[in-house]
Amino acid sequence: MKSRKTTVSLEDLLRIKRAEQPPAEFWNEFERDLRAKQLAAIVEPRPWWAPFIRVGARVAHYQLPVSAAAILVLSFVTVREYQAPGVSPAFAPQSALHESVAVTNGQQSTPSVLEVSTAPVAYRSADLDLAAADVVEPLTEESSVAGAASTVEPARILALDREPSPSERYIAANLAAAQAADPRLMDDVFGASMRSAPVRQPVRDPLAQSNGPGESRRSRLLATALPVNATANDLPVGTSDRVARHLTEERLYDTITRVGLKGDRVAIKF
Amino acid sequence: MDAVKILGKTLVASPDRQHEADSDVAIVRQVQAGDVAAFDQLVLKYRGRVYGVVYHLTSNREDAADLTQDAFIKAFQSINRFQGQSSFFTWLYRIAVNSTLTHLRKHRLRTFFSFEKVNEDDAVSREVLAALTDATGADRETFARELQEKLNEAMHKLSIKHRTVITLFEIDGLSHQEIAEVMECSVGTVRSRLHYAKQLLQSELQPYIRR
Repeated sequence: MKSRKTTVSLEDLLRIKRAEQPPAEFWNEFERDLRAKQLAAIVEPRPWWAPFIRVGARVAHYQLPVSAAAILVLSFVTVREYQAPGVSPAFAPQSALHESVAVTNGQQSTPSVLEVSTAPVAYRSADLDLAAADVVEPLTEESSVAGAASTVEPARILALDREPSPSERYIAANLAAAQAADPRLMDDVFGASMRSAPVRQPVRDPLAQSNGPGESRRSRLLATALPVNATANDLPVGTSDRVARHLTEERLYDTITRVGLKGDRVAIKF
Repeated sequence: MDAVKILGKTLVASPDRQHEADSDVAIVRQVQAGDVAAFDQLVLKYRGRVYGVVYHLTSNREDAADLTQDAFIKAFQSINRFQGQSSFFTWLYRIAVNSTLTHLRKHRLRTFFSFEKVNEDDAVSREVLAALTDATGADRETFARELQEKLNEAMHKLSIKHRTVITLFEIDGLSHQEIAEVMECSVGTVRSRLHYAKQLLQSELQPYIRR
């Protein structure tokens, strides 16, 4: 049989490809296999992670914007939460500390920031023996309350003439709470400065406490005028004062100028 | 006028296809309502076409059978999620094509051909084979086998996406719009891929083309 078709195009060639079809018996086997698979699919439960695959496949379409957003959020959180490795707060914030104190000490209450800062402050008049420049020693109700359990050094921060700054209040409150929570730890960390002091010693001005050069020399000369076995307790006050008054400034100056250093010589006047 | 008709055919689905889609939706609603046996109607209706697409993409009849069965199983399992936004056959094709593309990507380095026999009952293919054998004087059966191998080799020289487009358009007869829906891309992309695929096939099958 001669073909009437003389031209063959690409579409005609692809028609041959379309004619590649399975025989009828193929479909019987296909039907049987499909039935078995269908039953298996009904009987077997789908794995629990199957929905995640579906979600992942959907998200995969938006992987670029999703990745970019994730990186952005991660960077933001990292920058926001970043803390220099060496700089760490010595104590937990007041609120957290309150919780821990409540847990560890049961019913023991700790003065809060507001309580400490709003406590009325009573100032004791300065001791007249002390110089006018002495730091005024305040006696606060808060400190007396704290003194019953343990007097806390940071309370002094609040007892200044001026209004304490928020940071001072914050630090004081945290230190007080930490002291109440674990006094031993605070002693270990801060030493004796944080140790409780039932009776507070008056604070003197350092300049008032220090003696001048003339005073030290005066005491040395005074020592020579006293008996060797004399002690501070049995020394008659009136005698020492009298001797001290006789030691005039001129005499003291004279004792200083007896010793002279000139080049390679040491001159001593008698 | 004819050119306009042909162009319209390639762009939108035919009214017959629309009627088919409506009847499919009714069957799908039955299955969703719990009538599992109704799904067999859909299998009987589309198994040949789905198998044809998968077979022309893989050029392996065993793989094609497995992948077609898997596509129907997936469709059966997910039938409750079918909303009816697209036609059932587009949805089923998408499942089948995606499964096949995944399979092909996974086994990219392993390619075994196992062909189906060319159906002698198809008048057009019989005429084409006659024209080619008359011109060369070769034995028709031998020539048909040789041409079949060359056709499949040329198809496998195309990328997976180009092969899919040419299969769906030239072999399965889907419109550009339907192919775009199945492949989830634009109509312009479909046309571009189709043009490129035809160019490549034409150069590969040049010895068999008679002008």
